[in-house]
Amino acid sequence: MLHVLKSGDPLEVSVLRAMFKARKEVFVDLLRWDVPVLGDTFEVDQFDNEHATYLVLAGRDGRHLGSARLLPTMRANILSSLYPMLCEGEVPRSVDTYEITRFCLDRDLRASERRLVRDALVTSLVEHALENRIGAYCAVAHMSWFQQILAFGWKCRPLGLPQMVGGTMLAAARIIIEPDTPHRLSAAGIVPAPLPETAGRKAA
Amino acid sequence: MMDLAHGLIELIEQVGSREDLGEAMTAITRRLGFEFFALTHHVDVQANEGDVIHLHNYPERWAEYYDSMALGLADPVHRAAHVTSVGFRWSQLKKLIALEKRDMKILDKGRQQGIGDGFTVPANVPGEARGSCTFANRDSSQFPEAMMPLAQLVGAFAFEAARRLLIPPGDPACQDLPRLTPRQRDCALWVARGKTDWEVSRILGIEEDTVTRHIKMACERYGVNKRTLLAVRTLFDGTLSFSEIVARRYTPFRE
Repeated sequence: MLHVLKSGDPLEVSVLRAMFKARKEVFVDLLRWDVPVLGDTFEVDQFDNEHATYLVLAGRDGRHLGSARLLPTMRANILSSLYPMLCEGEVPRSVDTYEITRFCLDRDLRASERRLVRDALVTSLVEHALENRIGAYCAVAHMSWFQQILAFGWKCRPLGLPQMVGGTMLAAARIIIEPDTPHRLSAAGIVPAPLPETAGRKAA
Repeated sequence: MMDLAHGLIELIEQVGSREDLGEAMTAITRRLGFEFFALTHHVDVQANEGDVIHLHNYPERWAEYYDSMALGLADPVHRAAHVTSVGFRWSQLKKLIALEKRDMKILDKGRQQGIGDGFTVPANVPGEARGSCTFANRDSSQFPEAMMPLAQLVGAFAFEAARRLLIPPGDPACQDLPRLTPRQRDCALWVARGKTDWEVSRILGIEEDTVTRHIKMACERYGVNKRTLLAVRTLFDGTLSFSEIVARRYTPFRE
């Protein structure tokens, strides 16, 4: 099921902990990002504060399946703080624009499950935007991820030309959310389906 | 530059048919300072009729030769596009992959036929065939260096437009992916890492016979009869990832 959470939510501590742990397994252990790790277990950075909103997909047993972090663009965010050079014009800053960061699919998912969870997460992001009057998301992406973001079918516009930053080519994009966005997703084959109830076994 | 980018992207997104996309791409290619374009999946086009992206304005003779030789698979430019997600100029090929005699021949032949220099943008959507968007010229004399970042961006949008128009949603054989049990997946992972059944049995702490059986079942699920093919297929559909197998620095996303 989908949990929409703020970082201090006392009722959902276990869901949040599972998410920070899953983020460490994906972004630090697998992708080797140079980001802070708490107690060797949780990936938590300076933007994981009371202003962040989390969309977390969890199994009935509470296991983490996938998650994304939304940062308000009215406050410091990854694009404005770390990568403003990726925007040719002004860096997005608006009450109805949020930044998608830490799009995370659990490392224990099997290929077929990854796709289900990914589709559910993308669909949830669009629903969340439409329910909360969010008109656009922005995101920073490596070029290989950029092609996947386009493949979700939603309307994207680049914020600047791709650039080499720290040895990788990154681009920033605005994702425009409109009433017809759910239709665009389903036309691209992104349709919600029943989620796996528990994440797969850990690989050896 | 961004106004131009947005203009070209709008143009790409408005196309409603294969013909429209071809016309739009011809215009965009010129605007970027190139003569030719190719939007293609890296497959043997003649063997894969139907749901494959393959749209270009290359000279006819070159295209015929290329398709008849199934160069979509062996083309050094395509191979290079599999080791990077960033667009590259063909003069950089040797920095990406080892070029062999046969590769030099292909590149020479292309040059003779009027495809001398190009810029290729890799386009990879997991679970689907790898592809790319290439912009090319007759020779290197008028290569539009300054347009490369824009070509990278436009190439990504163009490939997505081609995907939307030419491939039915959800089609690319990924709906009914074979599923491995967790244990089968563990065994397949160690096979891909080059371990024998006996070695895998020691690592996982199970009987060698059991490992052999898991691998046999996994091969059956994929309809293959060789362990190497199991590794290839599980890597291709994302059941296994390269980063699990080769421990090296790998940063596909950055957010």
